[in-house]
Amino acid sequence: MSFDVDLERRLGDRRIGARFTAGAGLTALFGPSGAGKTSILNMVAGLLKPDRGHIRIGDRTLFGDGVDVPPEARRIGYVFQDGRLFPHRRVRANLLYGHHLADPGDRWMALDEAVEFLGIGHLLDRWPHSLSGGEAQRVAIGRALLRAPQCLLMDEPLSSLDAARREDIMTVIERIRDTLKLPILYVSHDRAEVDRLATEVIALGG
Amino acid sequence: MLSAEEWGIVALSLKVGGVAVLATLPLAFGLAWLLARKRFPGRVLIDGLVHLPLVVPPVVTGWLLLIAFGPFGPVGRWLETAFGVSLMFRWTGAALAAAIMALPLMVRAMRLSIEGIDRRLEGAARTLGASAWHSFWTISLPLALPGILAALVLGFARSIGEFGATITFVSNIPGETRTLPLAIYSALQVPDGEAMVTRLALLSVALSLAALVASEWLVRRGHRGQDRHVL
Amino acid sequence: MVRLILALFALLLTPAATAAERGPLVMAAASLQESLTEAADAWAAKGHPKPVISFAASSALARQLLAGAPADLFLSADEPWMDAVAKAGLLRANSRTTLLGNRLVLIAPVGSTVKLTPARGFPLARALGSGRLALADPDAVPAGKYAKAALTALGVWNGVAARVAPAENVRAAMALVERGAAPFGIVYATDARASRSVRVVGTFPASSHPPIRYPVALLKASRHKDAAGFRAFLLSKQGRAIFARHGFSAP
Repeated sequence: MSFDVDLERRLGDRRIGARFTAGAGLTALFGPSGAGKTSILNMVAGLLKPDRGHIRIGDRTLFGDGVDVPPEARRIGYVFQDGRLFPHRRVRANLLYGHHLADPGDRWMALDEAVEFLGIGHLLDRWPHSLSGGEAQRVAIGRALLRAPQCLLMDEPLSSLDAARREDIMTVIERIRDTLKLPILYVSHDRAEVDRLATEVIALGG
Repeated sequence: MLSAEEWGIVALSLKVGGVAVLATLPLAFGLAWLLARKRFPGRVLIDGLVHLPLVVPPVVTGWLLLIAFGPFGPVGRWLETAFGVSLMFRWTGAALAAAIMALPLMVRAMRLSIEGIDRRLEGAARTLGASAWHSFWTISLPLALPGILAALVLGFARSIGEFGATITFVSNIPGETRTLPLAIYSALQVPDGEAMVTRLALLSVALSLAALVASEWLVRRGHRGQDRHVL
Repeated sequence: MVRLILALFALLLTPAATAAERGPLVMAAASLQESLTEAADAWAAKGHPKPVISFAASSALARQLLAGAPADLFLSADEPWMDAVAKAGLLRANSRTTLLGNRLVLIAPVGSTVKLTPARGFPLARALGSGRLALADPDAVPAGKYAKAALTALGVWNGVAARVAPAENVRAAMALVERGAAPFGIVYATDARASRSVRVVGTFPASSHPPIRYPVALLKASRHKDAAGFRAFLLSKQGRAIFARHGFSAP
């Protein structure tokens, strides 16, 4: 399972680009704020269209050579910096949103497994607005995992958490990397995070 | 408290207002979505046309309706020959006049609501496997719903209060087009109509007030829901 | 800057200055539009300030007078509305008299070729079909009341009562027929004469409705020095000739 990414895009008066290949494990995209790291993730996910380039994951071409697979068909899980849980649905419905949409044959994780993996069983009937930062981030990760993705994108998932919560979530991420063996593309500007979690680091210019 | 005739007037007003708003709902939502989300040539023109009934004197709007939808107007004649339908002197004509006058208010309120939808949530839904359509139905629409309902209620209040365009387009026919405002106006023409005027006017104010309060409450409720999306 | 403000002030005051030269305020039934305007012009040509005329349905005018509108003369299209104003003590003593008479006609849009004579039991409902009969409001406006009385006397009111398009005044009723929105209307003979877009289908027998009489009176609160003079002019030979030219009959 590998990433083969070569992208370029003009945003305003900035030019954002990246060219890298990555294997299994957690690949960190490391760089200062404003380097366009989030935009790169958005392009990989299909939320933003590159001006030119290609995106290949495994043996699938998601973008390039006249191909542009829509985001819903890319089988990529995305954990956003701000969680982005749906406010009008409870935690359970949030978790299952992508699960219901996935092909039954593609699903490799059930709700119970995800709940146990992340320790969020007691939150299932809560509303997103009543969750703490750490709880919400766990639910966001669970939602992305239950979507049966082939890989995971994470955009600075620890930046809005306090020290204790960061430790919790880092443990979860390590388990995703090692136990679930899901390839992760991880964006961060924090050296310590990157040093601890990354299998490989790709530096992006500012 | 109200006589049978007066209840009839209220019932007609509610019917005309209700039909006007429900029939306009898809068009208003479509226009609101278009103006909120899409860029296209002629956008400013569409925006202007939608707002025209808001700034043009209602009598002029009624007169324009007469020219287009009246018995000799292009649309009126087509309706007559194709469907055997005539809007002249009919409650359907009153509903059309009310709808045109309510449209700009509804489009504005819905557009505000649509612009308030966090598009990043739509993006999140897409990454979870939802098509654009599915994302619209399960994420965008439910989040915009309080604002849409508020727009409906506001449009309804405007509809039941519509006078100038109605009386110019379809006249003042008891039982067909004599809605609350027209009935009050008629009662004013007759020197001993004071009691009826008072009753109907109080009712009219009460209905409008209720609609405004409901609309405000719905909008606030929608905002409370939005504030929680940040997590 | 100060001069500009003073100039603006002066501009605002000029209407007040010219108001002193304004003619008497006359409240007149809508059907008198052309004839009374011509009479007012003739009066002004004699060197008097031109009367200001407010045309509307007699019912609406009566309502305004009862609410205290400051007019000098009232010209109603029927006696009952003049009675109402008299009962409120608003008329100047001995100033009320009957000025004009009129006839009631059935009209259709000018291009229509229909033949219909208003007579006992005439097939108006059938001729209307799905269309409506344009009348001034039969509950309040004189032209509408006369029309309802005539149709009732001829035995056809019940058949058409539900198909009436009530208008604010007789001219508004005529406008509906002019526009083709209504296939038939009932207005005064003088109204039909004043319009080029309608044609008279038939005249209602004078016996089918109360005699159409236009009373004129001075209001008690009238302060204008010309009011009585204008009233006298309307009643004079020259005044009556103007009305006769427009189709009004002597009372």
